[in-house]
Amino acid sequence: MYDIGIIGGGPAGYVAAERAGQKGLSVVLFDKKKLGGVCLNEGCIPTKTLLYSAKMYDQAKDGSKYGIQCSEVTFDFAKIMQRKNKVVAKLVAGVGAAMKKGNIEVVFAQAEIAGRATDHIKIKAEEKIFECRNIILATGSEAFIPPIKGLVREEVMTNREILEIKAVPQSLTIIGGGVIGMEFASFFNSMGCKVSVIEMLDEILGPTDREMSVLLRQEFTKKGIAFYLGSKVVEIKGKEVIFEQDGKTGSMVSEEILISVGRKPVIQGLNLEALGVEIERGAVKTDDRCRTNIPNVYAAGDINGFSLLAHTASREGEVAVNNICGTTDRMRYHAIPSIVYTNPEIACVGITEEEAKAKKIAYKVRTLPMAYAGRFVVENEGKNGMVKIIVGEKFNEILGVHMIGNPASEMIFGAAIMIEMQMRLSDAEQIVFPHPTVSEILKETVFAFKD
Amino acid sequence: MAYPVIMPRQGQSVESCIISNWNKKEGDQIKKGDILFSYETDKAAFECESESEGVLLKCLYAEGDEVPVLKVVAVIGEPGEPIGMHLDEAVKEIAKPGEATSPIEIEEKKEEILVPMEYGAGERIKISPRARKKAEDLGISIDNISGSGAEGRIIEQDIIKAAETRQPATSLAQAMAKDLGRTIPAQGSGVGNRVTSYDLLSPAVAGEDSEIRKISNMRKIIAAKMHESLQNSAQLTHHTSADARRLLELRKVAKEAFEKGLSENITINDMVCYAVIRALKKHPMANCHFLGDSIKVFKKVHLGLAVDTERGLMVPTVRNADDLSIQGLAGQLKGAANSCKKGNINPELLASESATFSVSNLGSYGVELFTPVINLPQVAILGVNTIISRPADLGNGVFGFVPYIGLSLTYDHRALDGAPASAFLREIRLEIENLKFTI
Repeated sequence: MYDIGIIGGGPAGYVAAERAGQKGLSVVLFDKKKLGGVCLNEGCIPTKTLLYSAKMYDQAKDGSKYGIQCSEVTFDFAKIMQRKNKVVAKLVAGVGAAMKKGNIEVVFAQAEIAGRATDHIKIKAEEKIFECRNIILATGSEAFIPPIKGLVREEVMTNREILEIKAVPQSLTIIGGGVIGMEFASFFNSMGCKVSVIEMLDEILGPTDREMSVLLRQEFTKKGIAFYLGSKVVEIKGKEVIFEQDGKTGSMVSEEILISVGRKPVIQGLNLEALGVEIERGAVKTDDRCRTNIPNVYAAGDINGFSLLAHTASREGEVAVNNICGTTDRMRYHAIPSIVYTNPEIACVGITEEEAKAKKIAYKVRTLPMAYAGRFVVENEGKNGMVKIIVGEKFNEILGVHMIGNPASEMIFGAAIMIEMQMRLSDAEQIVFPHPTVSEILKETVFAFKD
Repeated sequence: MAYPVIMPRQGQSVESCIISNWNKKEGDQIKKGDILFSYETDKAAFECESESEGVLLKCLYAEGDEVPVLKVVAVIGEPGEPIGMHLDEAVKEIAKPGEATSPIEIEEKKEEILVPMEYGAGERIKISPRARKKAEDLGISIDNISGSGAEGRIIEQDIIKAAETRQPATSLAQAMAKDLGRTIPAQGSGVGNRVTSYDLLSPAVAGEDSEIRKISNMRKIIAAKMHESLQNSAQLTHHTSADARRLLELRKVAKEAFEKGLSENITINDMVCYAVIRALKKHPMANCHFLGDSIKVFKKVHLGLAVDTERGLMVPTVRNADDLSIQGLAGQLKGAANSCKKGNINPELLASESATFSVSNLGSYGVELFTPVINLPQVAILGVNTIISRPADLGNGVFGFVPYIGLSLTYDHRALDGAPASAFLREIRLEIENLKFTI
């Protein structure tokens, strides 16, 4: 009998396993493929590895702006991919080591629920029954393939296939201008590929603060990426994507097609019906303690459909374990940062201006160019960036912080702490920022409310 | 010499009042006629004027405290005067609520159980005014603080100690608590159990699963009356329904008449009440008070009507309802309901003794059947349900859908047997089905 059975070895599952192991619980972790989930194997880590290579390539080419002459800057795509595989392998091995250290039993097999006994739940894997007092469902999500006429699954790529691509294609059509689409657009554009993005909504990056997404799109347009906004793909004929824009039909032929229109929770094959786990809009319904409607059954990560971010998933895994151990722990979703690792990066936390308007929150906003921070000017010759802070009108509490410009991804946690701690402008004013850093732009923007 | 200030008694049914605001504080110079404090019953707000002169030496209760009537609230006298005598008196009174000296209280034999209790929150929290002020300043809740003062009374020091050990609140939560006039809970849902604004705004989501809310005086009275009714009688309910075609026709006529300038908009409920009054005249044994060893049979019909108000259920009475025309009845029922909603109804008309029979209409909520609770000492109450269409035999082998209005009669079997109760209910049905009136 195990204390916890965890299905899915991604950021929700392996972190939950690690935390439970530290608490001395007996844990069995199931994964049908590799530890690390989408994040480590076909998401966060490999894409960031590729994007970093692209960034170095961009910088090398840009060297003359900083007085560094590099003649004939070239890249070796096979080496870039090899390095990515090496990084992934290293980190996956790290997770394996952590599991070993925590005495976690790892079973590489498809697992499904086999029913409930009086004091435990049965999980079936490899024809064996594992008895678990509690289970955590952490199967994550997978790329959503929309029903488009003429779409043949094998002829288009998702994040999974494109990460195994052998050479940079001449041209790439990306269907869906969300975070995944934009990161691949950034990478392949840097690699010299002709990238076109077809997005159904009137702006890229969905719920991201509008000013940020507009600025990114403008930067990308300068770099040669073509955008077709408000465009609905109606048919795919081989390598040709046919779409409708403003009632007119357009067409785009490219060497490869990437589908990145969104992701959906993986709930098939788990046999959730055996326990009667409640599903809502394709996701397992959980409360803020990661409990499902069924006692002893928890769910963490993308499977609950809330946030679809690895760091959210890990925290949910911890919350589930803490609640299993009898400590009330609750998820708070209002201060979870989200990042787009394009070049330039976008990083956001809290509410957007559009959200504030929609929810009729009385707010004040200040936006400053990143160039107000000396270090940004030092390191970003001829580049654009900005920071936007949204505060509540009455109490001046910080509600949202949005940044575009490098290295936004490394600064956003500071803003997340401000929101998590419910700091007001008067509190944030008292924080000392190191000088010279790009992060000083946060302080500048906080004081901009005094103008 | 020092004078005690006593919580005045407002009407016979009022057992306690809540001090809503102190206009004077300890040490203030008081003149005759000065407003000392305002206080409220479940029905109205009043002000207490000083009848003596001097310095306000002691306030025994704080704002928000519920004080039994005729209890000492404060002491006025000259500075330095001994006031112990009055305090002793106050303690004595609190200790022996049953021993009353006023003639009005002697009439009320059940004084002991009528002493207000704190429902839901367990025992009454004893706290010094100074400690309460401190708690308010610091924004901390006084629940779950054990008092170190006499008889477990919470004193200022307890509040300071509690404030030190409690989880910190974010600066936003503190500002918001002050703004909303809310207290900061002992534990929050933020980082390190910090109390956040979410804990103040939606405690059910982010904080505790539940919260303890004090109930209003009105709610206490309703709770006591309802419980008393079910405990002290033998009530059961018969259900039937009446063909509502005639009602609906008459309602159409009434509506048209109202649109053409008739002063009253006669509703279905008015018509049902009109029919009930006529049925009561034929069945006087349903128009009674059951007094234990005797039955008080009324010659007149005083009709109680259940009214939903923001503060809770009220049942005002329309006296001599059997003397009224349908327009008159409609006007009186509407007037009584509006007075309840505004809070200016004569308290005497809310006493269950003032009505001989009551009607409760939940039809507008779509209720199809319910078991209304009798307002003792009345012997019955009629619940009026929604109108639903049902298949009916229209004669000559023809079946059709007919609108029926549901009727639920709860009666006290101590006063009335099943057969006469059924006969009375049938009478109501017949009155409704054959209702006649001229506008």
